[in-house]
Amino acid sequence: MTDLFFIATGVACFALAIAYTYGCEKLRGRHD
Amino acid sequence: MTTSATFQIILYFGVLLLITKPLGSYMARVFAGERTFFHPALGRLERGTYRVLGIDPSRNMKWTTYAVAMLAFSFASFLFSYAALRLQGVLPLNPQHFGAKQMTPDLAFNTAMSFTTNTNWQSYSPEVTVSYFSNMVALAIHNWASAAVGIAIAIAVIRGFAHKSADGIGNFWADAVRATLYVLLPIAFIGAIVFVAIGVPQNFDAYTIAHTLEGATQTIAQGPVASQEIIKQLGTNGGGFFNVNSAHPFENPSPLSNFFTLVLIWSIPAAITHTFGKMVGNPKQGWAIFGAMSALALVGILICTSAEQAGTPHLAHAGIQTQATALQAGGNLEGKETRFGNAGSALFAAVTTGAACGAVNSMHDSLTPIGGLVPLFNMLTGEVVFGGVGAGLYGMLMFAVLAVFIAGLMVGRTPEYVGKKIEKFEVQMAMLAMLVCCASVLGFTAISSVVHLPKEGFWAALNTWPGSAYGGSDSVYGPATGNLNNTGPHGFSEIFYAYASGTANNGSAFAGITANTPWYNTTLALAMMFGRFMMIVPLLAMAGALAQKKSVPASSGTFPTDTTTFATLLVGIVVIVGALTYFPGLALGPIVEHFKMLALATH
Repeated sequence: MTDLFFIATGVACFALAIAYTYGCEKLRGRHD
Repeated sequence: MTTSATFQIILYFGVLLLITKPLGSYMARVFAGERTFFHPALGRLERGTYRVLGIDPSRNMKWTTYAVAMLAFSFASFLFSYAALRLQGVLPLNPQHFGAKQMTPDLAFNTAMSFTTNTNWQSYSPEVTVSYFSNMVALAIHNWASAAVGIAIAIAVIRGFAHKSADGIGNFWADAVRATLYVLLPIAFIGAIVFVAIGVPQNFDAYTIAHTLEGATQTIAQGPVASQEIIKQLGTNGGGFFNVNSAHPFENPSPLSNFFTLVLIWSIPAAITHTFGKMVGNPKQGWAIFGAMSALALVGILICTSAEQAGTPHLAHAGIQTQATALQAGGNLEGKETRFGNAGSALFAAVTTGAACGAVNSMHDSLTPIGGLVPLFNMLTGEVVFGGVGAGLYGMLMFAVLAVFIAGLMVGRTPEYVGKKIEKFEVQMAMLAMLVCCASVLGFTAISSVVHLPKEGFWAALNTWPGSAYGGSDSVYGPATGNLNNTGPHGFSEIFYAYASGTANNGSAFAGITANTPWYNTTLALAMMFGRFMMIVPLLAMAGALAQKKSVPASSGTFPTDTTTFATLLVGIVVIVGALTYFPGLALGPIVEHFKMLALATH
């Protein structure tokens, strides 16, 4: 169970980083 | 400052200067896809790797594709390491029979994130926690992979400045493969042999049980140290084979190995400044960055060495000789190896934190307050004093963008850097990268300084197991400040240093904090993740935006960025931004502690 919690935390971290990537791209789109 | 310290510093910078141009030019050729000296031996391996993995190295990636490829690769390697660490009990090369009991879930999470992000923070004692397999496969793979990723990101950011009206910033997979095969592998192969030649062991034996003259039994840990040590230093990883890291005589047996280690740590970070100059078509741009990094490095090294050589008033008050004489080294030798002395230890402390290395040859917790402030400041300013492999350069380019922006504000012109106009989006991305790191360091430090965790709860428990080095009597701490060695400003510095080290992906520790609890393991892992990926992504976005721009010819209104004036401005920006952002934290920690020391206070 604890393993699942930490694996899920890792998945959430990288999912957040990917969302952040597209957030930055969206911000750039506004400048264009 | 002693004569030997001065000589060592001059020799060190001399060697770095000699390495920078040839290695930097070589890397520029590697990442341009040109043929090099190593292609006859490694070219087939490179092409085979592309074929097996289905990579088209000529495919130019948009910055978002580049970033997602990097994140996907890091995520896969994180999961692999987590699984391998938790399953080490059923995996081979485990003569000490370590298992999941030693490597708890929160510790495995921390360790996998730590090595994925090139931090190599170790909350555990390797000798009593990880098997040879874990060391060589689950962890060492990151010593290569995370270093290659760092170099690849730096090259992609350089291409942002070098490319003109281009959609892409290169191919992540090709950059990572080339960094591994043509940069890291040849140097590591030769360097590992040098390490063996100067006394570092390389074997797969079980630990030796020795009987001392007094009749006691001593367990002597060993293993494949040389092959781990070389990539640990060259890739600015820093995770030790032994708990005391480069203070251990098997990792760093002599002043010669110490000097060799120091050269390895800054070799690629120094050389990549020249790669930058070559790739943007003006080597003087690279030398301006090199000059700014050297100036910051030299000031830090001189302050740290002088503070350690001066010792403390407590020693003088107790009638102890603190001056260096022909018979004794003098100064503050607490926590230091006598074979390195103050000079070799202070230089190492400044170098390892200037880079994102984190290897230590002395215990930083025992540095004088001002001596300890230098490593802390190096990490807080984003490790741009040469920095980690690749990470130092892209961090410094972030400051360079801010420097030309501020210079532009002063003279009322649109800022330009190496022929590219710096506009709102680029400055926003540079600021975002910086603010994420500040928020991580200051936020986690503040929370950990006040949070009170339930005493018998999950978060405050120390990870213990029968027969471990830690014992089990004081296994529950309560508040996050409960597992510090010191109270007052030094205790605060221990927490501040831990999150600075995690966020900056350094990995060195003040060592006065017992971090192997679920609270510290989890929050430090999050700090490492924010400091690595949340910084890289905006810088890649900046590179993607710059790559699409046309190159602007220099005019009379262009602020030249290949001069001493610009290097000085860059140093000023790094120091001012670092000082303004973190001064309150430094004032509460090492600065207060320094004045207490002068007043002969003992806690």
